[in-house]
Amino acid sequence: MLPILQSAITDMQGAIARRRVWIVLASEDISDQHRRTTLGPFWLLINYLCFAATFIFIFHAGPLDRSYAIYVATGSWIWFYIMEIITLGTSVFVREESFIKGTNLPLSVYVMRATLQSVIRAAYGLIGCVLVLILMQAPVTIVWLWSILGIAIVVAVTPAVLAVFGFLGVYFPDSQYVITNLMRVAMFATPVFWQINAASEGGLRGILYHWNPLTYFLEIVRTPVTDGSVPVRAFVICVIVAVSFWALAIGLLGALRRQVALAI
Amino acid sequence: MVSIRAEDLRLVYRVREKLSLAPRLTPRTGGTIGTDGRHRLVTALDGVSFELKAGDRLGLVGPNGAGKTTLLKVLYGIYEPSGGRLTVEGRVDALFNISLGFRQEATGRRNIMLRGLINGWNEDEIAARAEEIIAFSELGDFIDMPYKSYSQGMAARLAFSIATTLEPQILLMDEWIGAGDASFQEKAKRRMDELAEKAGIIVLASHNRELLKRTCNRTLEMEKGRVKGFV
Repeated sequence: MLPILQSAITDMQGAIARRRVWIVLASEDISDQHRRTTLGPFWLLINYLCFAATFIFIFHAGPLDRSYAIYVATGSWIWFYIMEIITLGTSVFVREESFIKGTNLPLSVYVMRATLQSVIRAAYGLIGCVLVLILMQAPVTIVWLWSILGIAIVVAVTPAVLAVFGFLGVYFPDSQYVITNLMRVAMFATPVFWQINAASEGGLRGILYHWNPLTYFLEIVRTPVTDGSVPVRAFVICVIVAVSFWALAIGLLGALRRQVALAI
Repeated sequence: MVSIRAEDLRLVYRVREKLSLAPRLTPRTGGTIGTDGRHRLVTALDGVSFELKAGDRLGLVGPNGAGKTTLLKVLYGIYEPSGGRLTVEGRVDALFNISLGFRQEATGRRNIMLRGLINGWNEDEIAARAEEIIAFSELGDFIDMPYKSYSQGMAARLAFSIATTLEPQILLMDEWIGAGDASFQEKAKRRMDELAEKAGIIVLASHNRELLKRTCNRTLEMEKGRVKGFV
C-alpha cells in the first residue's frame, strides 16, 4: 500500500513543480477554442445564459417566478460544471496520448490541465449566474458564504473525479459513450430545474432526489442562495464522496500511472 | 558525472483485453509476443545492457519493431522497465515527436516557450535562450508567424533548436533528422558534436546508417528487443 501512496504523491508533487506547464496549456486551450470568434470565451457566458433562460421562460409555465429563476440559475451553473468534469474525465488521458508517450510529464499535469480548463469555463458561466441573481433581486445574506464553501468542495474534488474517470477511459474505451449517455439521463434525474415538494416526496422524483449523489453537490451550492439555509446533511455527504474519490484516485494513480503509456 | 548504465533491462507487458466491443490487441511497442498461459505478453526489451559515459554519441539501429524507440522511452522515463537496472545521471531531454506541444495557432516565438516548459525548463531559462534558439533555427521573420504556416522542415528546425540550445546533458532523439534540408542537417550535426564535447551524451535512433556513422561514435544494434551488437 505504501509504495502505491508514494508513487501517487511523487506524481502529484511533480505536477505541482511543473505547474507552469498546466497553467499555460489550460489558458492556451481556452483561448484556442475561441480564437477565431469575435466574442471569444464570452461565448461560454452566452451559452450559459441561453440554457438558463430556456428553463426559466419555457419550462416554467405562467408569469416569471423569481425564486424559480434563482433556483435554475444556480442549479444549472453547478450542473454544467459537474457534467463537464465527468464527461471530460473519460478522455483526460486518452486525448493526451501523444504527450503521455512523448514526454515524461506526470499524469497529474494532464488532470490539472483539465481541471483548470473546466474552472475557467465555469468562471464565465458564473458571471451569467450572478447577472441572473442580480436581475432577479436575490436577497444577499451572510449564508451565501456557505455557497462559496460548496463551490470550493466541488472544485477540490474535481482532480480526483477527472483522474478516476480518466483511468476508466483508458481501460474501458466505451466508457466515454456510456458516461455521456448516462449524464444526459442524469440531467433529468437530478433536480437541476425541477423541485421536490410534499406531493412528489414519495414518488419517483423523491427517490431520484434523495438517492442521487449529484443532488447534494447541487444543494451545497444552491440551497444557501435559494433558501438562505445551510444544507448540513448535503455538506456531510459531499465531503464523504469527495474523500472517497480522492482515496480512489490516489490508489489508481499510484498503481497505474506507469502503465498508462503502455495501455493507451 | 553524466552517464547511462543499463543492466539486463527488460520491458514485458500484458496486452490488456479491453472491455470493449472492439478490443484492440495491437502491441504498442516492438519486441516479441508470447503468453504466460492466461495472457498475451509483449517482450519489448529483453536483457538490454550497455553503458555510456560523457561524450558518447550512441546510434541505435535495427529493423522496425526492434525496440529502439521503446529503449529511448525507457531511458526518458516514459516506460518503467519491468526488470533489470537503469541508472541515468544527468538532465535528460528528448526529441521524439517534432510537433509535440507545438500549437498550430501560436507563433514560433510562443511555441518556444511552450515547448521549453513541456521539456522541463523554466520561463527564465527559456527567455534567456530564446534569441539564440531563433537564430539557430534560421526561421527569420517566420518566428512571429503562426506555427500552422510552417513546413515540416521549419518545424523540425524549431524543435531541434529548442531541444539543443537549452543544453541538456543527455539528449535522446528518434528519427528526427529525416526532416530539414542538407545544410541544416550539417549544422545540426555540428551542434550535436558541440553538445557531446561539452561532456554530454546523445542517443539517436535512426535507420540511416550513413548518418549514424557520421554522427555517432558508438552503435547499439537491436533485434526483437535484444541487443545484437554494441560497439
